[in-house]
Amino acid sequence: MTLADAYLWLKALHVACALLFVGGVVASGLLLAAGHTATDPDRITPVAMVLRRWDPAVTVPAMLGVWAFGIGLAVSGGWFAFGWLQAKLFIVVILSAIHGLQSGRIRRLAAAQDYRSSPASALVAPAVVAIAILAVIKP
Amino acid sequence: MDMDRWQHRLHTQPHTLELDIPNVEGALADPGQLRWLRIAAVAEATTLLLLVGVAVPLKHFSDWPLAVRMLGPIHGFAFVAYLWLILQSLGAGFLSRSVAVRLTLFALIPLAGYLAAHGLAQRTPDQFNRGSGR
Repeated sequence: MTLADAYLWLKALHVACALLFVGGVVASGLLLAAGHTATDPDRITPVAMVLRRWDPAVTVPAMLGVWAFGIGLAVSGGWFAFGWLQAKLFIVVILSAIHGLQSGRIRRLAAAQDYRSSPASALVAPAVVAIAILAVIKP
Repeated sequence: MDMDRWQHRLHTQPHTLELDIPNVEGALADPGQLRWLRIAAVAEATTLLLLVGVAVPLKHFSDWPLAVRMLGPIHGFAFVAYLWLILQSLGAGFLSRSVAVRLTLFALIPLAGYLAAHGLAQRTPDQFNRGSGR
């Protein structure tokens, strides 16, 4: 495998992991919002339990994959000194932090426990748009 | 979420979901979570120590930047994983906000991560259960 092939594989795996990770974060945010406003918690709890199993099986490995493959791409391209990558890293740290909080709250929701609502999930959509722009345009 | 509503549901329908819903104490006072936090604290502290104590001096005094290029991303990965575990524990109500802030600050100081791991090892899971998630 040439270096160019390895770059393409890293990029493909990074994008695949990013899609799975963002899907998990969006689903968690929606479920937590629904659980906070639901009039019938019995309908929410089974979904929370499914998501609680999905999270460590898919979303967390995808997040780790995003970081591992992303770091591999940045090292191979020598991009760590570039402002666009530093901004992108900051945003991905925020997204990872949001997911960490969500993961804990899903745990409480699945156990039918009270949890605090947070407006942080509203940052997910603009964060994803910003990441796409920074990654593709590299301003 | 309306706490009374949840409690009413739990008291009126304890048997229908009892097998599926994890026990609250067991779900929150999870020894596995505590173990992962300790492992992540030690990993983060070790990579930071190697970065600051070995790689950075090698770069500046021996003109050998490769160690920083390798250890920098590895430490970044370890830091994000540790931060994620702290926030998950905070969201689950497993850590109080002040302990979470302290653990995060300790992660920024070389060697302090080992103190955090030692502190985590001294506690039982029940001491972490703060009740309400953040």
